[in-house]
Amino acid sequence: MAMTTSNSQTPGATAPEGAAPAPAAAAPEPAPVPTGHDVPRSVSVLVFLRDRGIFMLWGLLIVVFAFWCSPYFFTLDNALLIANAGALTAIFAAGVGIGIMTGVLDLSLPGTAAFASCVTGWMLTEGYATWLALLAGLACGVVVGVFNGLISLRGFNPIIVTIGSLSILTGLAAVVAGGYTFPGLVQLEFMGTHRYFRINGGETFPGIPAPVFIVAVVFVIGTIFLTRTREGLRLMAVGANGEAVRRAGIASNRYVVLGFVISGVLAALGGLVNTANVTEANPNASPGIIFTALTAVALAGVSLTGGRGSLPRVLVGALILATITNGLTIRGIQPYWATVCTGALLIGALLLERLIQASVEERLMAMNLSVHEKKV
Amino acid sequence: MSAPTSETPALALSGIEMHYGFVRALSDIDVHVMPGEVVGLLGDNGAGKSTLLKVMSGAHRPTHGTIAVHGTQHTFHAPSDAAAAGVQMVYQDLSLVEPQDIATNLNMGQETLRTGPLGWLGFVDRKAMRKSSEAELDRLGVRTAPMSRPVEMLSGGQRQVVAIARSAIRVNGERGGILLLDEPTAALGYEQTRNVEALIRRMADQGIAIVLVTHDLPLCYEVADRMVILNRGRKVADVPVAGTDRDHVVGWITGSRASMFPAATPA
Ligand SMILES: Nc1ncnc2c1ncn2[C@@H]1O[C@H](COP(=O)(O)OP(=O)(O)O)[C@@H](O)[C@H]1O
Ligand SMILES: [Mg+2]
Repeated sequence: MAMTTSNSQTPGATAPEGAAPAPAAAAPEPAPVPTGHDVPRSVSVLVFLRDRGIFMLWGLLIVVFAFWCSPYFFTLDNALLIANAGALTAIFAAGVGIGIMTGVLDLSLPGTAAFASCVTGWMLTEGYATWLALLAGLACGVVVGVFNGLISLRGFNPIIVTIGSLSILTGLAAVVAGGYTFPGLVQLEFMGTHRYFRINGGETFPGIPAPVFIVAVVFVIGTIFLTRTREGLRLMAVGANGEAVRRAGIASNRYVVLGFVISGVLAALGGLVNTANVTEANPNASPGIIFTALTAVALAGVSLTGGRGSLPRVLVGALILATITNGLTIRGIQPYWATVCTGALLIGALLLERLIQASVEERLMAMNLSVHEKKV
Repeated sequence: MSAPTSETPALALSGIEMHYGFVRALSDIDVHVMPGEVVGLLGDNGAGKSTLLKVMSGAHRPTHGTIAVHGTQHTFHAPSDAAAAGVQMVYQDLSLVEPQDIATNLNMGQETLRTGPLGWLGFVDRKAMRKSSEAELDRLGVRTAPMSRPVEMLSGGQRQVVAIARSAIRVNGERGGILLLDEPTAALGYEQTRNVEALIRRMADQGIAIVLVTHDLPLCYEVADRMVILNRGRKVADVPVAGTDRDHVVGWITGSRASMFPAATPA
């Protein structure tokens, strides 16, 4: 960011002419080089707010709704409802989020989702094994990702490239479906409407919806991958500064493609979960899903410049959207107000983040300059 | 100070010519650096300093001339070839990944994996990386910030120190590597410049050969053992820092003083 002290116009920035002692006098024993002062507490607090603020926001929303929508909101049933409602957004948001963290905005997601579900739907209708059909659907995501990645690497703007892919895929999905849909895909019920761990026929415990499991797996694996593995760290690094990664002797292009592949696979997965939920594969891509996903990602404070952000926050972003819709629905408020709220929240979060970031930078700058006064 | 420890130069270029189309950026340049020596590469804007450094780092292939590392001839087709031979360039614009922490940046491209099955899955050993990073920085005499601090939260001077240390760590190890620095203090204030100076001296004391491009004369007098001065693509002086008059140096840089190598000035 703009924190480097680019101007050396500060007083004392020029070395005293002629006063330079002979270098030979130096280095009897290497004293540690003091390189600045520690980050002050206020900065740490601000950074904490910047990075964790979304969790607090969600907590606040829950508290508000718990009182405002009492007694219907703060129940286990409703929590599961919210989780299930947020699941689809969360999967797509993970795809969009990982793409952005890697430095690419993949707009082909709805097309990939539609195409993958139609391929799976076609195979299931033709009587192929369920696992094979699902695998083929996910493989579509891989192929689309590789395609997007390789084209983008030729120096084209990923946004334009993926808009092109979106168009191609939507068309291809319709070709696969022959202009119709694939209804009655009950084979996928296990990853759609099915609830696991029901106790007492749902009386004691209603069971956890299948999509919630899928989301949990995606986010746990994704988070571990991005923060604990070599490939994940390099992926994030490429998003922040591909040139630096290349200079470190790493084939950074491979990671750009990997970013697209992950986002493609997650898009395909989202499409399949959606198909499972409605037991029908539909070739009509719903571009709206990408905006919902982007909203969740933006709420999570994933910077569009890449290399920054975390999956848990993206998950909370998706859950916040679901929570707002759920709470307002309970109060009988028209659903369009939920969109208004979400938008306002997003812009509010943006302003707050800007404020915090500016404050952090100001403090860090002050810290740098004070090096001159605070002689150790 | 620290007298060269060996008779073979760490890096030696001879007869280097470099053309950019019709522009002759370098002609007939001979330069060498001994292990543990700091050579200041001086010259006015456009004199060819950056070009010469790019030839050394493998970013450019010279039109003519040879490059030898520790006495062995090399042809650098790319910076990775130079890196493999033990030559590392620290770029003017920093090449750090801002959101990632110091340890991750220092280990970029040579991450330590965990032992056992987790390692096979590509899990990194953050603890080990932090510890080794800390040890490496200690060895260089650098005390920056905690290894877990993101680079974006460091001051300009700290970042430059981390960037230089990263290259130093890469060339250390085998028999003293070669470090190329292009204006390492250009964006820094006085105090931060002093820190970088101290780091450069310390690296040289550990046997690293350093070529330092700068047009900051005081910096050169502070850290360099020898000065090589370029003027319009030619080497006009190659002198020890100690005992060389500043006015002479300025004269060589501006071209008002005749080259030390009259044989090499026909044009
Ligand atoms: N990529 C290039 N293409 C053409 N001419 C170049 C290029 N880079 C440098 N030059 C020319 O080569 C000469 C030396 O440049 P450079 O090495 O950047 O000098 P310095 O770093 O000493 O200021 C200059 O005349 C410059 O205009
Ligand atoms: Mg230059």
